[in-house]
Amino acid sequence: MYLKLKKSYFDVLDRFTPFLIIMTIVSFIIGSYFALYGSPPDYIQGDSMRIMYVHVPSAWWALMSYSVLAVSCTIWFITRNPFFNLIAKSIAPIGAVFTLIALVTGSIWGKPTWGVWWVWDARLTSMLLLFFLYLAYIFLWQAISNKDLASKISAALAMIGFINVPIIKFSVDWWNTLHQPASISKLSSPSIDESMLIPLFIMAFASLCFLITMFSVRLRIEFIESRISRLRQKIYD
Amino acid sequence: MKPLYDLINRDLKIAFFTSSNFLFTASFFILIVVLIPFIFGSDSEQLRIIFKGIIWISISLSILLTLERIFYSDYEDGSLDLILQRYESLEIIICAKYIAHWVINCLPLIVILPFLSLLFQLTFSDIFPILINLVIGSMGMVFVATFVSALTLGAKRTIFLKGIILIPLLVPFIIFGVDPHSWPILIALSMMSFVISIYASAYGLRLYGE
Amino acid sequence: MKKLSINELKCFRGENLVLNRISAEIKEGETFVIKGSNGSGKTTLLRVLSSLIKNYSGTIMYEDRDIKEDYKFYQKFNFIGQKNALKENLSVSKNFKLWEIIYGKKTDVNLLLQKYNLNTLIDKDISSLSDGQKKCISLLKLKLCSVPIWYLDEPFVFLDSENRSILTDEIKSHNHRGGIALITTNTELDYKSDGEITL
Repeated sequence: MYLKLKKSYFDVLDRFTPFLIIMTIVSFIIGSYFALYGSPPDYIQGDSMRIMYVHVPSAWWALMSYSVLAVSCTIWFITRNPFFNLIAKSIAPIGAVFTLIALVTGSIWGKPTWGVWWVWDARLTSMLLLFFLYLAYIFLWQAISNKDLASKISAALAMIGFINVPIIKFSVDWWNTLHQPASISKLSSPSIDESMLIPLFIMAFASLCFLITMFSVRLRIEFIESRISRLRQKIYD
Repeated sequence: MKPLYDLINRDLKIAFFTSSNFLFTASFFILIVVLIPFIFGSDSEQLRIIFKGIIWISISLSILLTLERIFYSDYEDGSLDLILQRYESLEIIICAKYIAHWVINCLPLIVILPFLSLLFQLTFSDIFPILINLVIGSMGMVFVATFVSALTLGAKRTIFLKGIILIPLLVPFIIFGVDPHSWPILIALSMMSFVISIYASAYGLRLYGE
Repeated sequence: MKKLSINELKCFRGENLVLNRISAEIKEGETFVIKGSNGSGKTTLLRVLSSLIKNYSGTIMYEDRDIKEDYKFYQKFNFIGQKNALKENLSVSKNFKLWEIIYGKKTDVNLLLQKYNLNTLIDKDISSLSDGQKKCISLLKLKLCSVPIWYLDEPFVFLDSENRSILTDEIKSHNHRGGIALITTNTELDYKSDGEITL
C-alpha cells in the first residue's frame, strides 16, 4: 500500500515543463488576439465583456482544482499513497489564486455592467465561499506543526468541504432567488454567441496550460521539500 | 446512559463553576441586541427586520467564540486524556459534548428570544417560526462546530483559522434559518451534519488520543 | 498470576519508528522504570499501554488477555500524564468534583488532602498554586480509584524531597497490595526497581 515516491516521476515532470511553458505562451497569444481583436464586441455590454475571457476560464478551473484537491485527498485517505497528498497540497494555492482571479475579474466586470463593483450574485458569493474553503485548507497545513497529522486533518476537512460545495451552491442559489431581482441573474448567464465561444475555449485552454505548468512546478517543489524533511529526520535519528 | 449523563453533568458543572455559564451567553445576546437601535436608529419597522437577522449573527458569533470550549480546553489541560482513558466509546463523549454545548450556549438564547422580541414589538406568532428554525439550526451548527473543534485540536491556538474553517460551513444553516418556511431543509441539513460530525469528530479525537 | 506482558511492541509516529520491538514482563507487585533520553518515546509507550494509541503492532496482555479485546481494561489502570487535568480557574475542591464524575466514585476530599498535608489548599484556585503543588494534587488522582495498574509519566518532576518520599512510599504500598507500577523518569529512583525498560 505504501508506495515510495520515486524521483524519476518528477524528472519526467521536469522534462515536460519547458514544453508546457511554450504551450501556455503560444495559446495565450492566440487566445488574446481572438479575445481582443478577433471577436465582435457584445451588442449590449460593448468591449467590457471581453473580461469574460479571463473570468469564465478561471472560475471553471478554480472549481476543477477543488475537485482535484478533494478527490486526491479521498484517494490518499483510502490508499495512504503520499503522492496524492502532494497533489492536493500543491494544487491548493493555485486553485486559490484562480478563485481570486475569478472574484476580482468578476467584480471589475460588474462595474460597467451593473454599475457597482460587487453584487451579491449567487455565483460570485459561492466563489467567495470557495475561496475561504481554499484558505482554510492552506492555513491548516501551516497551523499544524506535525506534518503527518496536518495531512490527515487537512484531507478530512477537504473532503468535508467538498460535500459542502454543492450545499453552498444550492443554498446560495436559494437565497439569491429570495432576495434578488431576476434581471441580474439573467445578465450573469448570457447565451453566448459562437464567435465568442471560440476565443473563450482558446483562453480556457491557455489558462489550463498555465495551471498545469504551475502545478507541475509546485509538485516538484513539494516533493523536494518532503524529501528534505525526511532526510533531515534521518540525520537526527 | 450513565456515561452520557456523567459527561453532560461534568460539562454543565464546569459551566456553572466558571463564568462561562448560561447567564453569560444570555447577556452576550442581550448586549448585541441592545446595540441595534444605536446603529440603525429607532425606526421600529426597520428594526424588526434587522432583529431577525441579528439573532443569526449572534448565534454564529457565540458558536465561534465558544468553539475552543468544546474540546480544546479539555485537550490543553490534559482532561481529554483522562476522559478518553475512562470512557470506552468516543461516540458517547461526542454526543455528550453536543448536548452540553447546546444547552450552555444555544438554549439561553432561545429561551430569552421571546422576551427580547417584545422590545421590537414582535408578537409571539411572528417569532414562533424563527424560534423553530433557531432550535433546529443551532443544533446543526453545534454539530459542525464540534467536528471543527475536534479536528483542529492540534493546530496552534488561533481563533482566526478556526473561524475561516467554521464560517463557510455555517452559511447554509444561516441561509435556510433566516427563511421561516425552510425548516424541512434545515432538519435535513442538521441530520446530515450530525452523521458527518460523529465520524469526523471521532476521527479527530482518535488522532489526538495518539 | 496477574501480569502485564508486552511482546514485540512496535509503534510508528508518522513515518518514524518510535517503539522498536519492546518486550517486557511485569509481574504482580513489581515496579518497572522506563528509561530513555528525551523524545525516545517514553510517553508514547505509556499511551500505547493505556490504549490511548491503538495503532501498534505486537501484543500487550494483561491477565492473559489481549488488552485490545478486554473491554473492561480501562477500569484496570490509571494513567497520570504530564498534563495535570486541572482547570486553572477553578478551586481545588471543584476540580476534585469534576474528577469524581469521571472516576465515578465519591471521596472525602477534605480527609484525603489532610492525609497529605494539603488541606490548606482546598479553596485556592489552581492558578495560584505552584507547579509542585499542582503535581501533588494531580497525583492524588491515584487515590480516587483503586486499580491494579499505575502508569506514571514523570511523577517526580517538581516534587520536593518530602513529597518524593511520600510518593515512593505510596508506590511501595501499591506494590504490596499486588499492584503494578510503570514509571518514566529521567532521574534515579530512591529505591531499586524490579526492572527496567530502556528505549
